[in-house]
Amino acid sequence: MPLIDLQGYGPLLLQGAKLTIYVGTCSMVLAIVLGLIGVLGQLSKSPVVRFLVNTYTTVVRGIPELVLILLVYYGVPTLIQDVSAALGSPVYVALDPFISGTATIGFIYGAFSTEVFRGAYLAVPKGQLEAARACGMSSALTFRRITLPQMMRYALPGLGNVWMVLIKATALISVIQLPELMRNADIAARNTRLPFTFFFAASLIYLAITIVSNIVQQWAEKRANRGVRGA
Amino acid sequence: MFNQTFGGNMRHILKIATAVIVGLFFLAAGAHAENVVRIGTEGAYPPFNYLDKDGNLQGFDIEIAEALCEAADMQCTFVTQSWDGMIPALLARKYDAIIASMSITEERKQRVDFTEKYYQTPARFVKHKDRDIEISEEGLRGKTVGVQRATVSANFINDNFSDIMTIRSYATQEEANMDIASGRLDLLFADAVVLQNGFLETDPGSDYEFTGPSYTDEKWFGEGIGIALRKGEDDLRKAFNEAIITIRENSTYMEINDKYFDFDVYGDE
Repeated sequence: MPLIDLQGYGPLLLQGAKLTIYVGTCSMVLAIVLGLIGVLGQLSKSPVVRFLVNTYTTVVRGIPELVLILLVYYGVPTLIQDVSAALGSPVYVALDPFISGTATIGFIYGAFSTEVFRGAYLAVPKGQLEAARACGMSSALTFRRITLPQMMRYALPGLGNVWMVLIKATALISVIQLPELMRNADIAARNTRLPFTFFFAASLIYLAITIVSNIVQQWAEKRANRGVRGA
Repeated sequence: MFNQTFGGNMRHILKIATAVIVGLFFLAAGAHAENVVRIGTEGAYPPFNYLDKDGNLQGFDIEIAEALCEAADMQCTFVTQSWDGMIPALLARKYDAIIASMSITEERKQRVDFTEKYYQTPARFVKHKDRDIEISEEGLRGKTVGVQRATVSANFINDNFSDIMTIRSYATQEEANMDIASGRLDLLFADAVVLQNGFLETDPGSDYEFTGPSYTDEKWFGEGIGIALRKGEDDLRKAFNEAIITIRENSTYMEINDKYFDFDVYGDE
């Protein structure tokens, strides 16, 4: 074996890494969708919608991820069981670990990306929107052609940051039966009694993921800025 | 105008999102077979339960669980779960029983029911193969014993042998193991499995052996390791209890036992 001897547990680590990337990507997509919905809600004229979105970003950003994951995966089904049993007709909920893990992480980082998108939206000059209106564009078309592409320039660095934090937060879902990278590293470490070997290997894999992400992000930022001189 | 339209769109999107989430919820809720007993285990506690290189569950707990299910004529599947979420996942019905070397304690009994113990690792003395030490008040007088601080074994020794033996406490079991290997101790006293896996089966421990009786006194060592179940599942508890008696009485338990340990890990009857 090269540098580190993984005692045959290499494939298990790679399987974990695959699941980590998979969960991370799905959660990030969800987070971006929620972030866009959230920013539209924050800009809404309805005070009720604004209040709901502000509550969402404040509460979710204020609660530790691990607490939310445990609440969604264990708390909610237990609550439903207890309440329905008390009402006389027990309902048993079997939440799939992948769905609840991805949904929880996406939900949490949706709040962070809402704030990223809000900053980006505010950075787009108002004159641009007025000009689009003057040209007769509908608000949907304005958003698609004018606001979104310019917003993305400002949002990408922030989103990249959200992604980096998110991919590491996936380690938390090891508590809900998902054998992702951290859980598999722990299994290998304890079964071989070589904790440093496996946690070091896991940290190298996380580092590799973030380095690749950085390259992708730089490419995306370049592309988003291609219409801007000197950027 | 811009904002109003998007307020409308957003409500629409929210509606769809809610429908999708609720849909997934029920989809997941539907897929659940009834007459299979799902067993939760940790998969990271060798030699009791662990995942091998290929991701298969192995170990004493796993083989005992399979034997119990066979004896009780139940169909069982295994779910691996990290230790932190072990009891919450049982309560949330992710599985129906925990067979993961879980000690029966008063604290846990407030949230889950336990079967009778299915094993109870005793605490034992270890000595050098060439030394002749009798485990009796006379034989132990003046000897030096090494224990790991703040363990049930250390409490037992301090409460029962402090007036006849010199007790040396160590922060880790490994330090005590190193000190007996270098000749500074006459005896070690600790959990038998810890001693066997961590010392006797390693190179420095190859000249040492267990000696004397197995200690499992409930006052110091608790009630042993049981199967945890949700409260009120008395049928399942009864089935497991009867299965434990069955495999103890036929040779199944000892066949599994002998693959892992060179003493009876069940402890006192």
